[in-house]
Amino acid sequence: MSVGIIANPASGKDIRRLVAHATVFDNQEKVNLVRRILIGLQAVGVRNVWFMPDYFGFYDRALEVFTGENSLQMDTRLLDMRINADQEDSQRAATLMLEKGVRCILVLGGDGTNRVVAKGCGEIPLMPLSTGTNNVFPTMVEGTVAGLAAGLVATGAVERENALKRAKKFSIWVNGQERDIALIDAVVLTEQFVASRAIWDVEKIRQVLVTRSEPFHIGVAAIAGSLCRIGPEEAQGLNIVMNRAGEQPQIRVTAAVGPGLMQDVSIADYQTILPGQRIPIVETPCVIAVDGEREITLETEDEAEIELSMEGPWVVDFKQTLSQAVAKGLFRK
Amino acid sequence: MALDKEEMLELYRKMCLIREFEETVSKFFSQGQIPGFVHLYIGEEAVATGVCANLVKQDFIASTHRGHGHGIARGASINKMMAEIFGKVDGYCKGKGGSMHIADVELGFLGANGIVGAGLPLAAGAAFANKYLNNNGVSVCFFGDGASNRATFHEALNLASIWKLPVVFVNENNMYGISMSQERHQNITDIADRAVAYGIPGVSIDGNDVMAVYEATAEAVKRARAGAGPTLIECKTYRHHGHFEGDPTVYRSEDEVNQWKKKDPIPRFGARLLEMKIMTQDEIAAIADEVKREIEEAVAFAQRSPVPAVEELLTDVYCD
Repeated sequence: MSVGIIANPASGKDIRRLVAHATVFDNQEKVNLVRRILIGLQAVGVRNVWFMPDYFGFYDRALEVFTGENSLQMDTRLLDMRINADQEDSQRAATLMLEKGVRCILVLGGDGTNRVVAKGCGEIPLMPLSTGTNNVFPTMVEGTVAGLAAGLVATGAVERENALKRAKKFSIWVNGQERDIALIDAVVLTEQFVASRAIWDVEKIRQVLVTRSEPFHIGVAAIAGSLCRIGPEEAQGLNIVMNRAGEQPQIRVTAAVGPGLMQDVSIADYQTILPGQRIPIVETPCVIAVDGEREITLETEDEAEIELSMEGPWVVDFKQTLSQAVAKGLFRK
Repeated sequence: MALDKEEMLELYRKMCLIREFEETVSKFFSQGQIPGFVHLYIGEEAVATGVCANLVKQDFIASTHRGHGHGIARGASINKMMAEIFGKVDGYCKGKGGSMHIADVELGFLGANGIVGAGLPLAAGAAFANKYLNNNGVSVCFFGDGASNRATFHEALNLASIWKLPVVFVNENNMYGISMSQERHQNITDIADRAVAYGIPGVSIDGNDVMAVYEATAEAVKRARAGAGPTLIECKTYRHHGHFEGDPTVYRSEDEVNQWKKKDPIPRFGARLLEMKIMTQDEIAAIADEVKREIEEAVAFAQRSPVPAVEELLTDVYCD
């Protein structure tokens, strides 16, 4: 029963530190987080851990303190893969972990990192740890606790049906082909470049689709959160079309579109969407941002649709998992 | 932030101009027609171009030993730059400074600099001057990953943050300080991480994407002009050539170089402009012809210019 760790060294440093007040999360803190995770995993009997290699070197840095009497009683290894220092590293690592029979993957990063891992992980459950404040999919959870929960799932000490929840996702269809996915939101922007990737200017947003909508969400998903509530397990999503400049808005809301970044938003219309329903995007040329990152550029002649699915990645509910473990007496000596 | 067609074409043209300039310098250097050392900017064009597109007349830039691209992006005279590199009297320093001393203060170009990290306090000083003069000007300092280990980096960021100076520190992280890879000279991979120690924003961006550089700089410059103080922008990039012309580059693999060449900022931006139908293949060819002609004229200008007289050896050493 092995566990995987995918830590994104690039998360927590994008332009939102400049255009908003996003968290600064340096890689040394992620190293500490990985160490805490390892201790949690070991405590519940995990004996094999696979790491994604990365340009920062989380594997070596995290393990350097576990020497002598502090040595870990587990086998830790790096995946044999080439590093390109781009987001595809995380997807490839997840696929390799799937091939190695990993039973749970801990993901250190934001919504974007989890999206990429979800493209490669198949049915392996994810334990997502947020490394910043601008996230909806991963939660801010203490590393030891996350390690315990992931370990309980990986060892089977807590059954999947009592530990996991299935996330929703969007499939982004471009000219009839599935181009990408999103776990939280897909945003159509009147931009033409991916450039620095982030979104902060709501004037450029034409359409927002969300898989969930809660009043406590941050980022573009907060626009949906200010309209209505759709829980992470409800079989629906939301499609919001923004006003064009000069149009009379149907609704105006104020939303936390970034950490410390409140903006007023003019909405033309919104409606709930159902699984399997394909929603056409309202404007080309455009850039589609998925989970907060500009990713897909479309030209005038392109046609794109966005489809809600209930078959996103499995996610460890760490509170429920640990509660189940306590109920089973797993922590009693 | 939206750029119009002409502005986007100008970004592309400027990057092509820098590339043509540097490839020409490389050619003449290999033929022994250029004295001294040259450090070429090939591969890093998006950084200088994206940054300088945000600057106005009262702004300053401070450069590095790899300064040709910065000068061209700021609008320096190609003829005078080329003449200087050829060591001729019509150059910026009358042919006595060479590649690493090209400066044009009238243009706000505080100069290339042979000393690693020496531009940082100059930029902070220029920012102080702009703030003192209350002219809404900003200054930009380009510097490398190696320079971020120098005391000047820490002193400049410290003072700039204390005094909220209107300065943008643009780190060109090309992964090597001369022949020393970043992993051997610092225990971090993202120089942007150092900003937090000085209480200023630090962001890390793709330095081979001219629009990413443009966007990040636009926000940092806006912040500086608004009086909110300095920003550190780390641009991840790569130099295609060695540290200096003639460097055998035994410290890096051919595979690594080839991987980075796939991210070459010029064809990458060109391809996007073609996709967007902002530019046509004919316009690409026309820009290539135009910059080639411009550089050929600069070379002819440099070659026509005389070498300095021996009696000039000790003049211009100090200011009167």
